[in-house]
Amino acid sequence: MNLKNDLSDSELLRLMLAGDEEALALLYRRRQGGIYRFALQMSGSKTIAEDVTQDVFLFLMREGHVFDPARGSLSAFLFGVARNHVLRRLRVEHLLAPLGDESDDDVPLVHASSELCPLEDLTRAETIESVRKAVLSLPSKYREVVVLCELQDVSYGETAEILGCAIGTVRSRLHRARALLLAKLRPAVEVEETGSATVKSARCFA
Amino acid sequence: MNDEEMLTRGLRSLAAEMESVEAPEAVEAKVLEAFRAQRKVVSMPRRQSNARYWLVAVAAMLLIAITVVVFRWNTGTVETPRQAKQQESTPKLNEQQPSSPQPVVASDETTNPLPQRRKPRRIHAPASRPEMAQVANHVTNEIATDFIPISYMSPANLQEGGQIVRVQLPRAALVNFGLPVNMDRYNEKVKADVLLGVDGRAHAIRFVQ
Repeated sequence: MNLKNDLSDSELLRLMLAGDEEALALLYRRRQGGIYRFALQMSGSKTIAEDVTQDVFLFLMREGHVFDPARGSLSAFLFGVARNHVLRRLRVEHLLAPLGDESDDDVPLVHASSELCPLEDLTRAETIESVRKAVLSLPSKYREVVVLCELQDVSYGETAEILGCAIGTVRSRLHRARALLLAKLRPAVEVEETGSATVKSARCFA
Repeated sequence: MNDEEMLTRGLRSLAAEMESVEAPEAVEAKVLEAFRAQRKVVSMPRRQSNARYWLVAVAAMLLIAITVVVFRWNTGTVETPRQAKQQESTPKLNEQQPSSPQPVVASDETTNPLPQRRKPRRIHAPASRPEMAQVANHVTNEIATDFIPISYMSPANLQEGGQIVRVQLPRAALVNFGLPVNMDRYNEKVKADVLLGVDGRAHAIRFVQ
């Protein structure tokens, strides 16, 4: 058991394909968290996340031989499979279809030099929930780069492998995604700031 | 702190909040169960395919064995006339060897007064064979004597060919050829093969049991 814990993902995959159940269990426990969180952050549904996690490892059992270590890590391979499954499920269930139709040009860019500090008065829980909802509302091509690069802490290069695009594309999408997130978070903050100013005025007038 | 930094903090908070989130254990159980089922599914066709291969191999061997048996049986059936021809040709070859012009007929004046009807002696029997050696037919399970000449047989006639005709004779006819007769079955008939020459005359006969 300890010896297998030291094995790489590729070696565990090889053992798993040879019928080693223990290797599968180790590989699953090593990689299921990231896959599940990725699917959950992409879909916002625990049911979909569970199904996708299961489907990813079922795919690995059936088609694991197609994995080529020379082309990237097994983690990236699994994220790529998970991405395909999530997008397929989302297309089928149309959970985020209205939100995904937004165009990049319709969203106003937020200037980093803005004097406003829209998120500083929010509590941590509210911030997390707001960010989560904002991420879920992003178009899928921006949502996946935010989830991978910002939430899963995957490198740009590995994200590019997962998405099958260039690193520059990843960077530009991430930049655009952050701008979209700020744009989505600003109205709520502005409302709160407006409310806060009203309270201050009331205090002053009181 | 600008918006970008606040967004980064918010994203990091979200990431930290979900860092401990993992798939339910039920998913792992399902995956492992599917893995075990897959191994069974994978192994089952192998057994079936192996069994199928063995079945095909056994069927092929049986087919080959049956083919060989049928072929040998047919060959044996075909060889029956060949054996007859060989036995036809045997007197011819043996007759050419002796220098005597009438090697067939025995000169036993005391037993048979008629010179042409003398007791025929079995001819052409190899020295290693007993006089009444019987030829076993593997196909029909018949036992036949060697051909016994009926009259003078010219080798030239036999070289031209002939045919064997199966007939039935009274058992008493055995006496004419010097063969023992069971008196209890005296009235019964006995099978015989008559060797006819190209001229239609009977040249030799053999008795079949």
